[in-house]
Amino acid sequence: MSINLLHRHVLEDYISGFETDPNPNHVAVSRRPVIFSVLAHRGQETAVAEALGSAHGVVLRFCSPSEWLLVSRTAGPATVAGILSDIAGASFADQSDGRVLMTISGPSVRNILGKCVAVDLHPEVFAEDYSANMLFCHVAANVARSGPDTFEIIVPRSLAGSAFEELLEMGREHALTRGFSD
Amino acid sequence: MASLITCPHCGARPKEEFSVRGAAMPARPSPMAKDEAWHAYVYIRDNPKGRYQEYWHHAAGCRRWLVVDRDNLTHDVFGVTDAADFVQARGIE
Ligand SMILES: [Zn+2]
Repeated sequence: MSINLLHRHVLEDYISGFETDPNPNHVAVSRRPVIFSVLAHRGQETAVAEALGSAHGVVLRFCSPSEWLLVSRTAGPATVAGILSDIAGASFADQSDGRVLMTISGPSVRNILGKCVAVDLHPEVFAEDYSANMLFCHVAANVARSGPDTFEIIVPRSLAGSAFEELLEMGREHALTRGFSD
Repeated sequence: MASLITCPHCGARPKEEFSVRGAAMPARPSPMAKDEAWHAYVYIRDNPKGRYQEYWHHAAGCRRWLVVDRDNLTHDVFGVTDAADFVQARGIE
């Protein structure tokens, strides 16, 4: 670990400024992700899930048997809306302005998230590419594992500040840093 | 209260993720049913001690309505089903 917060004064951030150079444990916030919410009509759940799974340039996040989030950092909202309007039996809404996407990574990520969620994040239970809605720092969020030590968290915009502050607090003993990813 | 509920869609979750919305067994009367039937459905409820089927909403998870079959005395949970499946199994709309 490059910076050890044990030898850093608790008010250092507030006096000298926040550390934004990424440490091994780091939270990166995306400035402009594209996030769509998708609902399958009754009886169309399997067909819609298959169509969404084969879409290119987007990642799929599971919310419920008939609801998903479609996330993209590369495609624009018009492209994603185009993909979705080609899928029969699905309704969708652009939620990009209503959600915040954070990526947390590092060797201590499971210890940090263990204090934020009450769900088992062991890789045998919560494997790579797995995603689910869960309570994250008292906020209903979507949590996904995008790598062995990388998780993506999507929270509602109005609660992002609260969830983010609590996440940093939980990560402080692991020298968690934060910054924008782009 | 049982503190871990196994949602059929999300897996084992803490009770804080749910909101409880009362007994699942009383069948909702038809819209045109007599006032007495509606009064009985809305206001007259048993308060059993023991095994009990209850509506739970997975508010912070899949947001589906579930029916939790549990014992309110021993905290045992016997099963959790999606409310849509529960209603279908009971054969009412
Ligand atoms: Zn659930």
